[in-house]
Amino acid sequence: MKSDLHEARERRHQEARAWKKRTGGKVVGLFCCSVPEELIHAAAMLPVRLLGEHEDTTEADVHFPVNVCPYPKACFDQALKGSYDYLDGMVVPNVCDMVRAMFGFWQTSSPLPFLYFLEVPQKISPESTEFFTVELRRFRGALEAFGGEPIGDDAIQEAIRLCNADRELLRKLSALRVTAGVPGSLVQDATLTAMVLPKERHLELMKAALAESQTSPTANGLPLFLSASMLDESDFVRLIEESGGHVVADDMPAGTRYFQADVDEADPDPIRALARRYLEEIACPRKMLPEAHLAHMLLLLEGSGARGVVIHNLRACDCHLYEYPYFKKELEARGMSVLFFRGEETATELEQQRADIEAFIEMIEG
Amino acid sequence: MGEALVAGIDVGSHNVSAVLLGPSGILGHAVLASAEEGERAARRSLEEACARSGDLPIPEAVVATGCGRSHVSFAARRSSEVLCQARGTHHLFPQARTVLNLGAESNRAVRISADGRATAFATNDKCAAGSGRFLELMARVLEVPLEEMDELALAADSRAEVSSRCTVFAESEVISHIHRGVPKAQILAGIHAAVVDRIVELAGRIEVEPEVAVTGGLARNRALLAELESRLDLPLLVPPEPRIVGALGAAIR
Repeated sequence: MKSDLHEARERRHQEARAWKKRTGGKVVGLFCCSVPEELIHAAAMLPVRLLGEHEDTTEADVHFPVNVCPYPKACFDQALKGSYDYLDGMVVPNVCDMVRAMFGFWQTSSPLPFLYFLEVPQKISPESTEFFTVELRRFRGALEAFGGEPIGDDAIQEAIRLCNADRELLRKLSALRVTAGVPGSLVQDATLTAMVLPKERHLELMKAALAESQTSPTANGLPLFLSASMLDESDFVRLIEESGGHVVADDMPAGTRYFQADVDEADPDPIRALARRYLEEIACPRKMLPEAHLAHMLLLLEGSGARGVVIHNLRACDCHLYEYPYFKKELEARGMSVLFFRGEETATELEQQRADIEAFIEMIEG
Repeated sequence: MGEALVAGIDVGSHNVSAVLLGPSGILGHAVLASAEEGERAARRSLEEACARSGDLPIPEAVVATGCGRSHVSFAARRSSEVLCQARGTHHLFPQARTVLNLGAESNRAVRISADGRATAFATNDKCAAGSGRFLELMARVLEVPLEEMDELALAADSRAEVSSRCTVFAESEVISHIHRGVPKAQILAGIHAAVVDRIVELAGRIEVEPEVAVTGGLARNRALLAELESRLDLPLLVPPEPRIVGALGAAIR
């Protein structure tokens, strides 16, 4: 059964267009968990994470070779097909080669009034946080120039409170995967919609989802942990559920990584608080060594009751792929079975994946 | 016989096989090459296996496996290919710790515990390179009957290079070799080596542990087995009828 949250992901373009019409505000697209959406909210603009569609990337294929990460390519394909015609601006963070390349592609093929390249340090250190704080002040200035209005600290603090409130509801729903059998696909739809909907609208949907979770059918499959590079839809998690599994916990950008940490509301300098949260609090292979990332993953795994780990890495997502052999070895050494998928953006291989997931579950159940 | 009789059916992408298993072991089997829909082919293979087992009645305990297992409505239970390959291989070769199941479209490597459980597995990518279909296509390009291609390859004194990455590119390489006048045997030796490249790569993903069994339709190809044995540097265990191991595993519980 598809939830309201799933429907909202499918209707995200209409929702953004409606918001724009209603408020007269600007919509700013972005990639990755490293862009503080609070600053865009504080500028009275709507931040929208770019997501692909599961169809052939016929337009983007003209510009890209085949051996690139399919996720940004799918997003760019949607832009070329006109799905993102409501965007007024784009923020491209310096996170990986393919996302970095998006800056140039957007500049030349889909020009917008506002295009910002956000510098994100490659490692976590006090100096990096200092650098990122300066960079976020520059980003704030750029947004002020684009919006034509100053962004006050009070507006940023208000946006921080709003986003923290939404993250808290996401954490509540996420925890219910373990304690109340809330399906992992619902949590992922909740996370994906948090990335694309106006926050007030998302808060409403979250409250409704939490209330419904008391009475909704629960997942009772084999508890599994999901680690993924980027799943921008919930089809894969739903496939795991259909195959007899239940994703009880995860480590992925469109999952726990998005809502695990809050921004410190007590910090008198909200920009510094944002820099700390977005740089130091998000566990990601792009800025931490595999040992540190694994330690973080094991914390998420602990207490989840997961009996196996499914790893889904998009083809050519080098950041995550480099970690995989080490993760596999370490997880297996801890008695955890690991199932690996080298994923595509399109849903063409779902049946083969289903066969493997069914075999994996049957193997663990013995 | 009664309750003790169990039938396993493996609905693969090319063959449908059935095994009748009784307390004394395998009572009969049948393998059909079938393009029919799964349900009908499964029933036909089971009927044939029963007929070949001295007209035994069709048992109630039917377990289905293979990519078409969900279409066998009369199956009491369904089980994945991975587990069935492990069980079937263990039944035939208790000493096997790895099975390489090489089918028409799917290749899988499965590690087996001492008590016959699957403990790790890997399946091939969504690509025809390295599969039985690849060999079928190459046989057609070279105008060699499928069942004769291994003998010809074994007779080659050298090998023409053929890409193992992509069936379409491999086909154009093969056509180039034909145009250059390279003997068919050498091209066939190269084709078999290309298939084995992919199988060895797949096996590496689960860290092969001896002894190694090979099952599936490709295990009937002697050139492929010779090449694989040499590449793995291990003797291979091959059952007399390698296409029924999945169905056998399905019948075992």
